[in-house]
Amino acid sequence: MKARMLAMHVALPVLAIAATSTQAHAADFDWMKFKGKTVTFLANNNPVSQALLTYKADFEKLTGMTLKVDGYQEQQMRQRLVTVMNANSDEVDVFMTLPSREGEQFAAAGWYGDLTAMAKNDVAKDYDPAGLSQALLKAATFGGKLTSMPMNLEGPIFYYRTDIFKKCGLEAPKTIKDVEAAAEKIKTCDSTVTPFVSRGLKPAIAYTFSNLLHNVGGSYIANGKSNLCSAKGREALDTYSRLLRDFGPPGVVNYSFQQISALYRSGRAAMAFESSNELRTVMEGGARLKDTGLLPFPAGDAGQVPTTIGWGMAVSSHSKQPDAAWYFVQWATSPEVQKKMALQGIAPPRPSVANDPEYRKWIDEEPVRKEWQAALDVLATKGSSEVGYPIVANPQSREFIGQAVQDLILKQKTIDQACADADKALDALIALN
Amino acid sequence: MSDTAAILTQDRQKLEMSALSAPAVVFTVAMIAFPVVYTIWLGFQTFSSTGKQSFAGLANYSKLVSDYEFWHGLWVTIALFVLSLVLQLVFGVWLALVLFHAKRLPGIVRSLFISPFMMPPVVAGMMWLVILDPSLGAANYILQSFGLPPSDWLASPTWVIPTIALIDSWQWTPYVALIVLGGLQSLPPSVYEAAQIDGASAFKTFQRITLPLLLPTIVTAAILRSVDLLRFFDIIYITTQGGPGNASNTLNIYGFRVGFEFFNIGYASALMLTLTAIVFGAVLAFNRLRGAVAW
Repeated sequence: MKARMLAMHVALPVLAIAATSTQAHAADFDWMKFKGKTVTFLANNNPVSQALLTYKADFEKLTGMTLKVDGYQEQQMRQRLVTVMNANSDEVDVFMTLPSREGEQFAAAGWYGDLTAMAKNDVAKDYDPAGLSQALLKAATFGGKLTSMPMNLEGPIFYYRTDIFKKCGLEAPKTIKDVEAAAEKIKTCDSTVTPFVSRGLKPAIAYTFSNLLHNVGGSYIANGKSNLCSAKGREALDTYSRLLRDFGPPGVVNYSFQQISALYRSGRAAMAFESSNELRTVMEGGARLKDTGLLPFPAGDAGQVPTTIGWGMAVSSHSKQPDAAWYFVQWATSPEVQKKMALQGIAPPRPSVANDPEYRKWIDEEPVRKEWQAALDVLATKGSSEVGYPIVANPQSREFIGQAVQDLILKQKTIDQACADADKALDALIALN
Repeated sequence: MSDTAAILTQDRQKLEMSALSAPAVVFTVAMIAFPVVYTIWLGFQTFSSTGKQSFAGLANYSKLVSDYEFWHGLWVTIALFVLSLVLQLVFGVWLALVLFHAKRLPGIVRSLFISPFMMPPVVAGMMWLVILDPSLGAANYILQSFGLPPSDWLASPTWVIPTIALIDSWQWTPYVALIVLGGLQSLPPSVYEAAQIDGASAFKTFQRITLPLLLPTIVTAAILRSVDLLRFFDIIYITTQGGPGNASNTLNIYGFRVGFEFFNIGYASALMLTLTAIVFGAVLAFNRLRGAVAW
């Protein structure tokens, strides 16, 4: 999906307008405009919102508003959102959203409030909407409407144990074939560790698999049809499932980020392909601080096309106070707050924050942080936000991708059967689009 | 007071009582009836991926008949139901007998025996997920310490159902034991005295007296557990989310995913109403059985 392989600093018309008109309205901007109101925030209880909500009191002091937080784990948050939105309820003013996953679906259902005008007309002097990642803003724009403001930048990156690589006489992998060769060598060189681990839990697979598919030059859709049975699709399915089946931990089909981080942090995996957001978790306790190298996932025939996504903050279309809700969104995605979050390990979606001296100092404190930032820079400049099929039923498409990979890991189907079954189910989904 | 006046007073009292209790009755009926009626109505609607809604008649139910995932989910639900129920009844009766006869067992030990079912299922699911992790979990460590081969437990399509049944049985067997223990304590001592005089062995006494007399209690426990087992959700969702593949995708998990992950609330409602009908059917069947074994 070339349209979404976005360069970080390509300006979009909508933000260009925003940037030029900001000065005209900034002088009238008053953070206390909605003093006394209460804004309800439906949050996914992940590291991004946890870092943000550390500063909840600052928002309330700045605006005189009360912030009511309704926090759940990711799936439960969506369950709550579906219930609220289907009931046309105004219970939620602001919610967290993943445009790459549910953006098309929520936009088509009319659940997102349109932020285009607010981001243009109602911004504080220092908000700088044009300073936000243009790639992420474009990924959050549906039908010309800006639906959410980016909170962070993330994607799967490649964690590897430098000490094990050194012991086994290996160099940092440059290509996918190097990863396979390293896994093979580690299997014999150090039998106490799992050579490679990544996501094997069905709904979670698309997040990491998409990176590999794009790196080998594959695409999910060609000529309006599902493309998993293409040569590149098969190659990606075969490589990903083989890496997990032959070199992954037992029970990898139940592995998502929690298990992967725990395995790698405990020193029982030599290579892990997992979210950049997991850096803080992986480094907890400090055991992996000095023996971990970080890279974007090594290149395939199409080079490096990392998966780059970000959580966004959206205003509910049913909110009775979208203007007050926007103030919260604006505060949460402001340079000042995003800098504070960055110092907690949340990758900023603003190049200006990424270049901030204080943030750079924090990055320079540890070599692993430098590598993390370097990997994020590649994600920001070369990334694709395509995780699963770019269709309204994206969440369901991830199920079928995951099913095909699991069928291969568990040797329940041949690659011909697995991709054909997936393509058949996915074609039906595409037809509904 | 004449008879007519007394009747009028009684009628007025009845009317007043009805009027006073009406709000509570209306509220209770509404709370029960509204969700059911609403779900039935939803079952006749279709929702697109974007939430657009339209009347579908019986389309959701005809789709269900030809949906492989529905039949697979039904099979998984029944397999899990049968396996768990058998385990819980057998071990529940055994545990009840142990607690009944071990009268000098300290209170703390008795409390420990019955503590699992007081644990929230989500906590139990998380705990077993860690214990059964094939790489980091204690279960495989213990197996390997005894020279036994490790297992994939929840990650194996073959073993996932028995493993979930074991987790649920670990949690709910004590609950069955408590019910059966109550039944044991209410059995008439005279029949045991008669059996003792007749020289019946302990096994014969259990087989011919205890078990038949306990049957109504066991069936009651089976009814209570059946309802829960057919609606079983939390531990499965926490541990496998229906995987690996679709190996533990019960009807309840499938319905949840269709409704809340794929936003097809209409089809999810049809699935859940079908499951509700199955639960009612099971309860009716067990009720008949209870009538047959009553003494």
